[in-house]
Parts: sequence; C-alpha cells; structure tokens
Amino acid sequence: MAKEIFMPKLSSTMEVGTLLQWFKEEGDSVEMGEPLFEIMTDKINIEVESYEEGVLLKKYFNVDDEVEVNACIGYIGEAGEKVPDTPPAASGESDAEEAREEVSVEENGEAASAHSDPAENKGGKVRATPAARRVSRENDISLSTVPGSGPNGRVHQQDVETAIAKGAIAVTPLAEKIAADHGVDLKQVIGTGARGKIEKQDVLAYLESAKGTVSEAHAPQAERIKLKGLRKAVADKMVESVQTIPHVTLTSDVDMTNVMDLRKSLLPVIEKDTGYRLSFTEVIMKAAANALAKHPKLNASLIGDEIVMNKEVNIGLAVAVENGLIVPSVKNVNQKGLAELTQVSKELGRKARENKLKPDEMRGSTFTISNLGMYAIDAFTPIINGPETAILGVGRIIEKPVVVDGQLVARPMMVLSLSFDHRAIDGAPAAAFLTDLKANLENPYSLLV
Amino acid sequence: MREITYLEAVREAMSQEMRANEDVFILGEDIGVYGGAFGVTRGMIEEFGPERIRNTPISESGIAGAAVGAALTGMRPILELQFSDFITIAMDQMVNQAAKIRYMYGGKGKVPMVLRTPSGSGTGAAAQHSQSLEAWVAHIPGLKVVQPSTAHDVKGLLKAAMDDDNPVIFYEHKLLYKTKGDVPEEQYSIPLGKADVKREGTDVTIVATAIMVHRALEAAEELEKEGISVEVVDPRTLVPLDTETIIQSVSKTSRLVVVHEAVKRGGYGAEIASMIAESEAFDYLDAPIKRLGGASSPIPYNPELEKMHVPQVPDIIQAVKETLNKA
Repeated sequence: MAKEIFMPKLSSTMEVGTLLQWFKEEGDSVEMGEPLFEIMTDKINIEVESYEEGVLLKKYFNVDDEVEVNACIGYIGEAGEKVPDTPPAASGESDAEEAREEVSVEENGEAASAHSDPAENKGGKVRATPAARRVSRENDISLSTVPGSGPNGRVHQQDVETAIAKGAIAVTPLAEKIAADHGVDLKQVIGTGARGKIEKQDVLAYLESAKGTVSEAHAPQAERIKLKGLRKAVADKMVESVQTIPHVTLTSDVDMTNVMDLRKSLLPVIEKDTGYRLSFTEVIMKAAANALAKHPKLNASLIGDEIVMNKEVNIGLAVAVENGLIVPSVKNVNQKGLAELTQVSKELGRKARENKLKPDEMRGSTFTISNLGMYAIDAFTPIINGPETAILGVGRIIEKPVVVDGQLVARPMMVLSLSFDHRAIDGAPAAAFLTDLKANLENPYSLLV
Repeated sequence: MREITYLEAVREAMSQEMRANEDVFILGEDIGVYGGAFGVTRGMIEEFGPERIRNTPISESGIAGAAVGAALTGMRPILELQFSDFITIAMDQMVNQAAKIRYMYGGKGKVPMVLRTPSGSGTGAAAQHSQSLEAWVAHIPGLKVVQPSTAHDVKGLLKAAMDDDNPVIFYEHKLLYKTKGDVPEEQYSIPLGKADVKREGTDVTIVATAIMVHRALEAAEELEKEGISVEVVDPRTLVPLDTETIIQSVSKTSRLVVVHEAVKRGGYGAEIASMIAESEAFDYLDAPIKRLGGASSPIPYNPELEKMHVPQVPDIIQAVKETLNKA
C-alpha cells in the first residue's frame, strides 16, 4: 500500500508550508529518516524526513507551491504501485465521490472554501457553465479572471455577474486571443475601450512596450524580486499583526550606568565560563523576565477570544538574517542566570543565521525583544509577534546630559520602546511594567534579590 | 368540478367515445366480466356487450396483430395489455407492422389504434410486472407515446389518442389509478405534444413523467420552504415531445433535473437532456443537467429494495440542491 506524505504542521499557527526543494525525484528510493523535502513555514525553514521506506511514487507539488498543512503532497510505496493523478483531499475533507454519498453539509462548506481560485484547468481552459460563458461573452469579461464558486472552481453565471459588479477585466475576444497567444497577463494591460475594456490595440501596445524594454538594454531598470520564501512569510506575518492588533508604543529613557558596570565586571567571568561574551541583550532579557514575572499580563498571549496567561517566561529574540527576520525562543528566562542566558542566546542566534533552528526552538515565546542598539537608533515602534501581547524595542546606549541631584551630568542613556496589544493590555499596566523594567536596569543588583 | 379517480377517468373516456363512435372497441385479456387486471373496464361489457369488449386468448402478439388488422380495415381498436412488461411479446406487431404500415404504403392505409397498458413499480409485483419500458417504444418512428400523470390529463389525452390516426402507446401508471382529481364530465381532448407546467418556479426546472410528476411536486413543496423555487414540467407525451415548453423553462431557470421511473441508463431522460444540450437553452445552463432514474437492476420483490430502485422525494430534493451547489 502506498503511503501518503503529508505537509507537517510544525507549530500551532502554521497553516501552510512552502515547498523550498525536493531532495528526491519520482522513482528515487527513500530510506526511513532520509530528508525528503525542505519546507518553509511562517517561522522556519526545515528539512522533512521520511517516515516510510520505499520509492517516491508521486510529487503533487513543485518548488514554491504553498501547501496547506495535512494536505497530501506525495506518495511513497513500492515501485509500480498506482497512485492518484491528483492529490487526494486533505484529511477531514473527503473527495468528491464520498461527499456525494455522505450528504454532509459541513464538509461541503469546507470544500467550497477551497474552490475560490479562478477555475483554470487542464490545458488552460476555464471550467465554466454555458450560462457563465454567455454572460462573460455578452460583457466581454475574461473568464480566467473570474473566481468560480462551484465544485472544482466551476464558474457560474452568478460569479460572472458578481465579477462584473466588482469591475472585472473587460476584454474583446480578439484581444483575449492575442493576449493568450503571446502569454500576456491581461491584468498588466491597460484598456482604452469603453469602461476600460481591453481591445486589440491595447494588447499590441503592451507587447510593443514590452519589446521596447528589452531592446533598450541601457535604460536603468528596477530589479523585481518575487515575494517568496522567508520574505513572504515575514511579509504575511507583519501584515497580519499590524492589521489585527491595535498597537500602542510607550517609550522610556533608562540610565544604563549600573548595567555597564555590571557587564564590565561579569564579562570576563562569563567568557571564561562559556566562551561567549555577555552582551547588553542578555542583561535586558534578564531584567525583562524579572519584570514579566511581576506583570504576567505582559507575558500573556491573545489566542482567539481568550487571553492565555502563560506560566513560563519565554523570550523571543528577533534575529536579522539574510532576506528576513526570525525569532528563536529562549525558554524560562526568569530561571536562567546570565551565563546560561548568554550561551543559549548566542547559540540560537548563530543557528538562526545559519538557518539551522529546530521547530521547537522557534516555538513558545511569550514576549519578544528586538534590539537595534548596534545602530544609531534611539526609539522605534516594534511590531508585536502575535499571539504575544507585547514586544520590547531596544535602542542604542549613548551619553546624554541628564540632571542628577540638581547637577547636569553625562550619563549612558538608552530608550526602551514597548509596544503592547491594547486588546489585551491597557496603558496603565503596560506603563507599570516598563517602569519596573527601567528600575531593574537602573539598579541591576535588584535582580539578585 | 366533480372529482373522480384516474382509473374512472380512463373508463369514462373510453365509454363516452364508444357511445359516440361505433368503430371503437376494446380487446384484451379478461377485460370482460372480470374488468381487466386493474378493473379499468369493469362494467363496460354490461353496457357495450362482448362484441365491443372482447376477451382474448393470452397472447399479446395475437391481440396486437388483431388490433393492427382491425385498424387497417377501418376500425379504431383499443387494446389493453395487463402489464406493460408484456409489450415485449407484442413488439413485432407494434414495431414492424403498426408503426410502419402507413409510411410504407404511402399513406394509403393507416393504423388508428391505442395500446393501453399499466406500467411502473410500487405494487410489489417484482421484476416482470413492474417495469417502465416507454423508452423502447419512444425510439420507434411511427408510434406515439403518452404518459399521463393526472385524472384530468388521462381523460383528455386518451380522447386525443383515440382520435389520432396513428398507433398510440398509452401508459397508465398503476399507482396513479387510485389518485383523484377534478375531471370535467363532458368529453375533451388534450392535444398530444403539449407539455403542462404543473408548477411555476424560477430556480430550477424538473421535467418529470407519470408518478414522478407527483414526487417532483412534493419535492418542490419542500424546497420552497428553503427558498428554492422549482418549476415542474410534465411533458405528458414523450412522442411527440413539447420541446418548446421545456426549452423555455430551462432558459428561464438555467438548471434542469430530469426524473423518471424507468431505468436511467438509456432512459428517455437522456433524450430530454440531449435535446436541451442541443437547444438554445444550452447558453442558459448554469449547472450540469441531472438525471434521476431507476437503478440498473431488475426491480426487486422486497418492498424496501423496490422503493430504493426508483427515485423518491428526498432523491429529487438532493438532486435539485446539487444543481444549485447547495447540497
């Protein structure tokens, strides 16, 4: 029996994985535990190993395809075994035949949602009813731009009418034919006909201009980089966070004199102990963990309509990597000493940059710190790493004139920027947390208490 | 108006015509004193005598041959087959003689006869007494085929069949014999080839025949509660078929479900579906045409299996919803 290969669900928030590469071709033999393919989730790139031994019989998806978790992406079995030509529906959904027999309302609801893409099918033909075709013809609408609501994405008359109401691309049949022959995406063509209808000369003009850009090799051209891989994951995550979370950012100046002293005296000790150099980040983490323990609201996660009061204090560290940003999680920060924190943070940072983080090392953070102190940045407005409810932005340490005991003196000052989710936390508790954190840093010996 | 049963309407149509037209007579097995297998001719021998209500030997081929001969000599015979399943035995007479003679002799002879016969399942009569074989005869040029669904229709259509100068196969559904309806007392004729919109609607058209007309109407009633407006078209005659009414209805609703009791494979529903696919209604179709028909098996004797063999109201409701992507 051929066994399905599923897209693994690697974290509670993972909904889709992007295939980065296949390590095996159809027909290759596969050992149990051998890497089969590499995927990228919203958090991580990871190689997925085979649970089975046999021959890779089928690959349903190509590199850069986004695949829903638990969807079947291929089959492993014995050479010559028959497997379906198209991927079976994800577990929980049944295929069309079964759905017909089972008369189940909720499954059909699920199936319908999966069918919202424009109904392009084999040979580039669109699956559409005769009535949909008639209405699209009468209105010069390109059916390939209309999302179908029927089974297998079939376009119905109502879909075309909805698309017209929303301003679908109007195109004459001749223009559509020319565009299809030249592989022109009609979305790129500007229509000059009535109500923006694309006519023959519009497609020809587009082709002409496209040709022009090729011949004018010396003209400076913008490089176009497709949003994919980690960049896409970061982009999606940021949009989701900004669009769903009402952010409020508080800032506070912190006198780092004592932290600098502390670091100076512990630096050789910790370096001798671990081989790693203590940085301000670890001291700030330690101080933040201490304050988080006293202010559990800032350590909470907002999941669905529940505020989850996390028991562990796990701090995510935003790490800049090539082409993106990833956030490994340092577990139980409040229970770790500075030496251990230094070692763990440095190792996670290195793994992040080398793209070797395990899913477990990306999971479970309850609060995030983003440190831009190595740049000439004082304060900023960090974006919350959902479902966490707060994030701390760390600026540079720079000597500034401050008034101490009536005297103007120069002190190493640092700005902390705390963004919080106003759905879960109000201004006063967030301000109290930041005040305690500032006190912890201005008197780091309190962390020993 | 007066209410009578479908069975009484058939008898009344024949009796009234026989009173008016000396040339009309009935022949069949046990149709005399016994009144026929379902009692349709009961009491007629008393009024019209054994010359015009003729009992025959048990030979469908013989009955059909005698009717063809009588029709050719100027009579207008009505022959009754006890069960429409037995038409297979009369088939040579009907297909090779009755259907062809007027054509082959250039119109010099004609065969004005009506073959009346009860069809359909639902009586526990099992595989050899429950079939719906109307597609067999609908395939033969020269035969007209009628499937009335109500008492009112059966009287008017039988009058038209008796008046027609061509052989007409007239199917009476066994389960419909006891159904009642308003029927005018006087003679009237419903032209062959005129469909009847039994219920008007806007979302989907059901073309249903015989007993399925009633199931379709019941389904339409249920669907209306869910806001689905169903139009039910009863073609009434398969040959000639009122394509215009069906095309108009489908052009309006954009969706078609065809329901008959006969086995779906090779059934007349395929003809209706194809006719629509070839018609101007094609451009208005907004969902695949659906056909509901009997299962591809002999009709089972077990009453539960017998029910499952043919489309029931929930099947029709389901098919309509699938057509609307609402299943």
